[in-house]
Amino acid sequence: MKKLISLILALCLVLGMASFAAADEELPTFDQIVLGENTDLTAKIHFAYHRTDIPEKLEGYVAEFQKIYPNVEIEYELITDYAENALMRVGNTDWTIMGIPTVQKDELSKYFVPLGSLETLSGLYNFMSSWSFEGVCYGIPSTGNANGVLYNKRIFAEAGVTELPKTPDEFIAALKAVKEKTDAIPLYTNYAAGWTMGAWDAYIGVAATGKDTYMNQDLPHAKDPFADQGNGTGPYAVYKILYDAAAEGLIEDDYTTTDWEGCKPMLNNGQIAAMVLGSWAFTQMRDAEGGEHPEDVGYMAFPITIDGKQYAPAGGDYNFAINVQASYEEKLASMYYLKWLTHESGFAYSEGGVPIDKSGEYPDLYAAFDGIDMLSDADALEGEETLLSELNAESELNFNNGGNTKVQEIIEHGFNHDKEFDDIMADWNAAWSEAQAALNVEVK
Amino acid sequence: MSNVTTAVRDINRNAKMKRALIKGLEYFALLLACFIALLPIWSSFTTSFKSAEEYATTNAMTLPKNWLNFSNYAQVWTEGEMLRAFLTSASVVVVVVMVSVMMGSMLAYVLNRFRFPGNGLIRNLFMIATLIPGIAMQVTTYQIMKNLGLLNSIAGYMILMSGTDVISIYIFLQYFENLDGALDESAVLEGCTYFGVFFRILLPLTKPAIITVAVLKGVGVYNEYYSANLYLQSNSWRTISTALYSFSGPFKSSYNIICAGVLLTLIPSLVVFLLFQKQVYAGLASGSVKG
Amino acid sequence: MSIVSTVQPDLRRKRINWQKVLVIVLFAIVPLFLLMLFTYVPFAKMVQFSFHNMSYTKDKGFVGFDNYLKIFTKSEYVGAMLLSLYYMAGAVVQLALALLFASILSLEKIRGSGVYKAILFFPFLVNGIAIGYIFKYFYTRGFVLDSVLQAIGIPLESLPYWLRDQSVNNWSLVFTSVWKYCGQNMVLFIGAIASIDPTLYEAATIDGANRWQQFKAIILPGIKTVFMLNLILSITGSLSAFEPAYVVGSMGANGTATFFIKIHQMAHVSQKVGQACAMAMVLMALILLFTVAQRLFFRYVMKDSENTFNAKANKAKALW
Repeated sequence: MKKLISLILALCLVLGMASFAAADEELPTFDQIVLGENTDLTAKIHFAYHRTDIPEKLEGYVAEFQKIYPNVEIEYELITDYAENALMRVGNTDWTIMGIPTVQKDELSKYFVPLGSLETLSGLYNFMSSWSFEGVCYGIPSTGNANGVLYNKRIFAEAGVTELPKTPDEFIAALKAVKEKTDAIPLYTNYAAGWTMGAWDAYIGVAATGKDTYMNQDLPHAKDPFADQGNGTGPYAVYKILYDAAAEGLIEDDYTTTDWEGCKPMLNNGQIAAMVLGSWAFTQMRDAEGGEHPEDVGYMAFPITIDGKQYAPAGGDYNFAINVQASYEEKLASMYYLKWLTHESGFAYSEGGVPIDKSGEYPDLYAAFDGIDMLSDADALEGEETLLSELNAESELNFNNGGNTKVQEIIEHGFNHDKEFDDIMADWNAAWSEAQAALNVEVK
Repeated sequence: MSNVTTAVRDINRNAKMKRALIKGLEYFALLLACFIALLPIWSSFTTSFKSAEEYATTNAMTLPKNWLNFSNYAQVWTEGEMLRAFLTSASVVVVVVMVSVMMGSMLAYVLNRFRFPGNGLIRNLFMIATLIPGIAMQVTTYQIMKNLGLLNSIAGYMILMSGTDVISIYIFLQYFENLDGALDESAVLEGCTYFGVFFRILLPLTKPAIITVAVLKGVGVYNEYYSANLYLQSNSWRTISTALYSFSGPFKSSYNIICAGVLLTLIPSLVVFLLFQKQVYAGLASGSVKG
Repeated sequence: MSIVSTVQPDLRRKRINWQKVLVIVLFAIVPLFLLMLFTYVPFAKMVQFSFHNMSYTKDKGFVGFDNYLKIFTKSEYVGAMLLSLYYMAGAVVQLALALLFASILSLEKIRGSGVYKAILFFPFLVNGIAIGYIFKYFYTRGFVLDSVLQAIGIPLESLPYWLRDQSVNNWSLVFTSVWKYCGQNMVLFIGAIASIDPTLYEAATIDGANRWQQFKAIILPGIKTVFMLNLILSITGSLSAFEPAYVVGSMGANGTATFFIKIHQMAHVSQKVGQACAMAMVLMALILLFTVAQRLFFRYVMKDSENTFNAKANKAKALW
């Protein structure tokens, strides 16, 4: 009797696994999805997303999509502190589609449905490698960003800055000119919001070194990566701009009470001359409520020049991924919706983003990027996929990973003149070296 | 003789003046304290009636042009989905208060009225638990909630809120200690079951303790943010605190609108406070003084 | 905490009273289960994790006391602990003010004393997130506080930036805590003063004692228990201070990160769960130290019963 039961149990298990595997096999890859097929699909999708500012736009997409797939219900959950909350929730949630939080890459397959091979998909779409592991993609970017600097054209002109600054010194000089000749705040840091400070980390790779391998391949092995290169390049030069601006009084007066929403029309109206943020912020500033001069909002490359050339880091915004725990119908419906979002919604274009679909159109704001190389970070070397995130955690510096406080401290020390910039960088180097030693990383 | 009278009168007058002075100082101190207590709330109140343009152009302490400009409130009410948040918070408060009252009174009854092995142990377990700061254990509590599948579930949040409650047990324990045992003794002799004794005789007698627990617990749960944020992230289960918090963040509103949200959340607290002022004070006092 | 049993067990029959057992089990099982689930199990796990190098998803194994050693060798954590000194200082001021207003409202015939009491108490009921918004607005340069101070003749130039200047910003945050809890402390003191036998004052007045003497001789001894209780509560509360820096100080930016905020960042930004648990253990040890010191104080100096200790503990829980 016992044997029989165990046999039945084993059989069930095998059958269950087989059917599970079969279901997964049946799921087409992202490139195989053809919109307009399977229109009788019935499913309910929970879609977790961080864009709390555009619920109507998202509802509009749902309505459009339902014209083709009337039986697919989509419910958005818009979340304020998305990064932190998604990270805690991933792997155990009823969300069907979510933006991938900063998980370790080797855990991707535990949480998300594979979308297809990196080889195939990266031929069709931009920025596919950021959430891939061992040649398989798990996420498709919502839109692409290039990282540069937002500025007010009129104010720069009034300050006599006729040519866009290309080096840190020129940039600081431009900010000083703004301070002397206009009433605008030269550089608005948005210190209090926190995440706006962590945004500075985006420039230490491609923009500061001109190398697409810097962030994921070189930085983990670099010896003293934050040391002064002496030529106005490298991570040192990026944060030095912030330090100098704070030290010279070129930033907002009471930075601890900055108000993110309030700053949008201020850039538009010329009360702020510059802000260091990704291209996604461009449309928000240009279209800000209460802003009267959308035409004055401009975008330029980050002011670092390497051997006479400027570089703009580009990458995917949040990547959408499908919950591996969802039912087959939900997964399939999610595939169709993501395909539709990528190809049909026009989302990337309307958000001023770099298109994800390689045949897509670039919005006007990238006009300023003519002659500037847009590069996205190369992948980590094989076997080192998780190294950067481990070093980030171990050193507690958390580059591009929520390490806002360390950048806030640069402003504090610069403004209060209580610690030299070189000492801050020395501390970072020490923390980085310690982390490298703790993880037995070879330092080149 | 007359000199003496004058002297006495002078002393009296001096004493009177001194008393008047002290009295004056006391009123001054009280008024100043009230001013400080009210000023931050008052400024939010006035700002909540300002239009976006007015907010941008006038000083923070300038009174609004139109005291009947409720547009910020309307915007917060609809866009912030405040009604849903109020209903969620209200249901959490009601359930958690009811569970806390029931659990606290039942356990206190058992611990106080029966002698059994483990009685002391249970008391000690609860006592030691009060010394462990719950907020320090949030990392591991989160894992447990995750393993139980209680994330993003209103029931899970309610269980957590009631389960971590030790105050109500103590308040009831203290109350039972002062409640004459002869009452239930005679009821038992008359053939009443222990359940009957508890539900029909003792529970109605603990009304003051129930009010105390309801007030302390209700206020605490209504204003709770940390766990609500952690465990109820879904939009459909936003409480007042998390709804209010969502006004900030990368894509949200300016101060005149936020202030309207702040004021809205204060209204229930204010109403409860005005209705149950005496019980609130008494509840607080009994929570600590009786000890 | 003596076991008071007012219903004496029936000694004539040794038979187990099943109904009684049923009541005990039914009434005690749920609270006990929840107590284990949400207090003791997480606590045991916290102890365990604190000796491991681990994130939420990966455990790299046992590391002994490494996590603990790191806390005391890094100046930023020690600095974060020292921040609680600000909150302790604030707590002392808060208790003094609460006592002052409690005495005025209890002893003097104050017109509308109920209104004053209500106004001073109300901040206690304000939602923590709301306090965050209210005080950010309050402290912003040129906004509420600055306007009021300018109105009484202090030029803006001589005022500090309340949240930016590191010489004052922690005091600004401590003030929000005093603002919230002062009225609550006051109500507790009023309750304690009201429980003092009124004939004592009459006797004192007949003896010619003035207000100050009455305060010293009657009120202080009468509310000594409640006072000590609140003092030590506020001090242990200061150790785990979190809300002001989180909601008003932009999550602990600009040198306002208390020890608890460091724990939060460690766990949720750097994802070093083991390290965060070790920090939480240290925090708890500190709190326990203060609590035990207080217990000894009550037992040997104040000769008070354990019950007071329990009441203190409840309050402590309420504040956390």
